[in-house]
Amino acid sequence: MADVPEGGGGGGGRHQKKRAKKGSTRIDMTPMVDLAFLLLTFFILTTTMYKPSTLQLTFPVPPEGPNPPKPTEVNNALTLFLTKGDQIFYYRNEFKPGETQLTRTDFSKITPLLIEWNKNTFERIQDLGRKLNAKEITELAYDSLKNEAQKDKAAMFVIIKPDKDAKYRNMIDMVDDMDISGIGKYAVQDSIKPAEQALLDAEKLKF
Amino acid sequence: MPKLKMPRTSPALDMTPMVDLGFLLVTFFMLTAQFRPEEAVVVDTPSSMSQSPIPTENLMTVTVDSAGRVFWDFTDKKVRAEVIKDMANRYKFTLDPEQIQRFVNLNDIGIPVQQLPSYLSLDSPAERKVMDQASPGIPIDSTNNQLLDWIRSTQIIFSSGSGGKNPIVALKGDGNVNYSTINKVIKIFQGPTVKINRFKMITDLEESRMQVSSNEQK
Repeated sequence: MADVPEGGGGGGGRHQKKRAKKGSTRIDMTPMVDLAFLLLTFFILTTTMYKPSTLQLTFPVPPEGPNPPKPTEVNNALTLFLTKGDQIFYYRNEFKPGETQLTRTDFSKITPLLIEWNKNTFERIQDLGRKLNAKEITELAYDSLKNEAQKDKAAMFVIIKPDKDAKYRNMIDMVDDMDISGIGKYAVQDSIKPAEQALLDAEKLKF
Repeated sequence: MPKLKMPRTSPALDMTPMVDLGFLLVTFFMLTAQFRPEEAVVVDTPSSMSQSPIPTENLMTVTVDSAGRVFWDFTDKKVRAEVIKDMANRYKFTLDPEQIQRFVNLNDIGIPVQQLPSYLSLDSPAERKVMDQASPGIPIDSTNNQLLDWIRSTQIIFSSGSGGKNPIVALKGDGNVNYSTINKVIKIFQGPTVKINRFKMITDLEESRMQVSSNEQK
């Protein structure tokens, strides 16, 4: 044999051949780990992105029969007109032609206003929420008590009237604001009376 | 001093447990992932603070995209198959079983019924997409109110198969569409034939406002 034996000489040719073949049995796993984490990142990023939620909206059932009952007069009412450029015009209580004035505001200012006007109910609901968190009442009791607070005579009643320039987003924001400020009695209507429309048009011209 | 013989260890780490963990997680995410279904239309829904989740069954979705086009969708495949047969009867066109199967597997439908047979004979999603983009959506005019027929057909078929229950109705509108368009759809919902006075509006979860309100509560 021509090559020099590595070991201690006396091993003989039998063992030499075996030793030459002996490599590491380990595979380098790094690329596999790379691949695994790449896939992992991909799936994490694609799964948690899409989270839709829903807002429940209930319209009053349209009255049937020849003589629809006249809607009862509401006090503590607020009428909101949603219109172009995310503007809101509102008036409180009953509409009196010639007397009622519209006030202009926008979506960033309306939420504190609503909470202020609906303070009693809002605080009652906040209080109920605290009790629920402290496990003093059950979720079922919370729901019914909240409902009761919102149906209260003193609670605010809001009429949302998007006009022809309003965006759908405006209406959703407003309904969402009702939830935030704890107003349970609200209605979305599309019927703007001619007198109201005239007043609204006059106000819109100013801005 | 005698030389200490240190055992020679390889500097390489054993990666096997890491690979195990990695692939375990990959498998988990792959199996739990729910891919977004192929949508005929992309809608930028407005955001809200509401956290109530969207139901996944018995849900009829009426979508209004930013151009004001209207789409119809229903989750349950059996009902879908019956609805398309009913619509074919009503509008007097015929579909072969393959077209019906294709309809069942699709989601949002925004094609006027007259074009449905040719739409459903297209096999490739790319070709359908072209047609979707050119489509004016489901007509909702008072003279040609196909949306009403879709809704009524869904209601009748669903309630006959479920003992008189009504499907859950969801409205998925683009935030920038005019309210007057949405109002037309709501008026159809409230109409005397379908009488939908309760429905859900699909929104995105709004995170910034959630933080604000949780700060307020503190």
